[in-house]
Amino acid sequence: MSVNAPSEKIERRKLATKPFARADRIFFAVSTAAAYSSFVIIALILIFLVGRAIPAFQTQGIIDFAFGSTWDSAATPATFQLGPMLWGSILISLIGVVIAVPLAISIAYFIEFMAHKTLAKIVTTIVDLLAAIPSIVLGLWGAFVFSPIAAGWAKMLNQSMGWIPIFDNPEQNFLRSPFIAGIVVAVMIVPIIASITREIFSQMDRDIINASLALGGNRESTFRKVILPTAAGGVIGGVLLGLGRALGETVAVLYVLNISFDINWGSVLQAKGGSVASMIISKFGEANPDEISALMAAGLVLFVFTLIINSIASYIVAKAQPWRK
Amino acid sequence: MEKVTDLTPVARPKTAAPWSRKSPQFVLYASLASIVPAAVALGTIALTGMDFMAALFIVFLPLQIVAAALVGITVYGRRGILEGLLVVATIFLSSFVFVLLGSVIWSVISNGFSALSASFIFQNNYYIQPKTSLEFGGVGHSILGSLLIVGLSTIVTVPLGLATAVYLTETQGKSKGIIRTLLQAMSGLPSVVSGLFIYAMFIASGITTYAGWTGSLALIPLMLPTVARVTEEALRLVPVELRNGALALGAPAWRAFVQVTLPAAKSGIVTAILLGVARVIGETAPLVLTTFAADRTNLNPFEGAMGSLPTYLFNYIAFGFDESIQRAWGAALVILILVAILFISARVASRTRTKARK
Repeated sequence: MSVNAPSEKIERRKLATKPFARADRIFFAVSTAAAYSSFVIIALILIFLVGRAIPAFQTQGIIDFAFGSTWDSAATPATFQLGPMLWGSILISLIGVVIAVPLAISIAYFIEFMAHKTLAKIVTTIVDLLAAIPSIVLGLWGAFVFSPIAAGWAKMLNQSMGWIPIFDNPEQNFLRSPFIAGIVVAVMIVPIIASITREIFSQMDRDIINASLALGGNRESTFRKVILPTAAGGVIGGVLLGLGRALGETVAVLYVLNISFDINWGSVLQAKGGSVASMIISKFGEANPDEISALMAAGLVLFVFTLIINSIASYIVAKAQPWRK
Repeated sequence: MEKVTDLTPVARPKTAAPWSRKSPQFVLYASLASIVPAAVALGTIALTGMDFMAALFIVFLPLQIVAAALVGITVYGRRGILEGLLVVATIFLSSFVFVLLGSVIWSVISNGFSALSASFIFQNNYYIQPKTSLEFGGVGHSILGSLLIVGLSTIVTVPLGLATAVYLTETQGKSKGIIRTLLQAMSGLPSVVSGLFIYAMFIASGITTYAGWTGSLALIPLMLPTVARVTEEALRLVPVELRNGALALGAPAWRAFVQVTLPAAKSGIVTAILLGVARVIGETAPLVLTTFAADRTNLNPFEGAMGSLPTYLFNYIAFGFDESIQRAWGAALVILILVAILFISARVASRTRTKARK
């Protein structure tokens, strides 16, 4: 006991993990401040949009604003309701995701497991290039080049499977439908889903794939029973990120969709649909102050929606890559 | 030849090569399976004058699937059918994406090329009506405006993104995970929301009228995630030994970063900047909401409306006349060329990095 007593008085030496030098402290403080700037930006967006949106929410009522289906700035009192746009955005994004996912996964599979190294590099570059095409250029292409072709496809679908309600189209006008907008959105989100899926595939443990092949599995059974289950988390995250991007797509959709407040529940070939983001930009030019407030509210709804989806998605992607710390 | 086969494990046919991936027989079948359906489909088109798309879906695709399934059966037995399907589906869907991309690029080049001329690139748009013929007026003011607006936001975003990446790689900060998730989520921020935000903050509140700098501000939230994340990847590639070496020699952390890590990651950071610029140079919605499209050349981003390529494109598509659409294609080609230049420079920069590391 008495032997131990003096040792308690000795001050333990601390391992320094915090910077002493003033320059270092400034260096770390600056980088921390910059890192928190993304918090600040998100918070500012919320504050300013909420501030401008409050009048619209007060006059319209939150429930009516989100689910009603009239938009008339000339009426007294002016009515602004977002229902058809909200549903239209979801519908178009779902079509986009349904089309984009098989394309993206097959490209990722092709790059990682099938193609020769040189070819894989070229394909990766092409996919990145597709991601770099601005959405307005895609919109121009969609409006003047792709729409007539896709309208032909839509007509074929309608003639062969018109008895299914979603392919029904009594007006026989196939341009500017949610179907076409969905395909254009799919072209936009394929590179996003493909690059995340490819990254997940490339970081997979090669041993389990080789083990599956050694046990007599072929490409297909390895893909279905080993690769997909292992990569599922990351792929789902990538799909959600694509969904978030699809919901926020603005100008590309504007040119290929007939925006209509007559709600379209699921007849994807009819020439009426909605998109919150495109509606905002099409109405903004000649909006009066009341309508601007309503558009701000629409932007707020869109922002909150995409922020939630994107946060969940990035959380899933981060979880699927536990080796990245 | 006698039919007595030796079934001891060591004996196998001399031509067998189980370690080799492809037997000659398989190569023969596979090449047959990839040539025959295409030949039959092309033959049908040539003989009957069938529509190309119809031939693709009615003749080529079913034949190709059957052929691939047959190869699968001969190689793996019955379960090989799905294998054949997988191969066909993968290649077909991948090439579908390339066809789409090719269609986009080809239509922009073929339609835009006729609009392109020296006057289209250098003149501004003053006194030009939507139906004026293409000999007069151009996108000169928009190119300058785009460069000024994007340049201004680059000046703000790059230090911010670099410092964020430093926080994510060089420090022991506690909220790295949240920041990374937030950045990823921000990369999906709808561009129109960013425009509305700046409009609400500066223009609706009367601080300023439409000007170039509000457009630059609206691009920052869109550019920051790309710059920060690509820079982070670049900094992460710098070997830990370099950093620790500098620290062990007594350098303070900031000197270790500025004199050792930063030069090592230089080309990666250049890539990050170029990709960030490429990400925002075609962004339309935020600029439509925050910079009023001007027809005159304006070199002062802090005062007065400013034209930019995306808003020019946006207006001229909306006019809807043949001449204005022609101008829109021309502007789209200019944007695409700018993006391609940025993209190729980014590739070259990252290639010099990989060479330097070898």
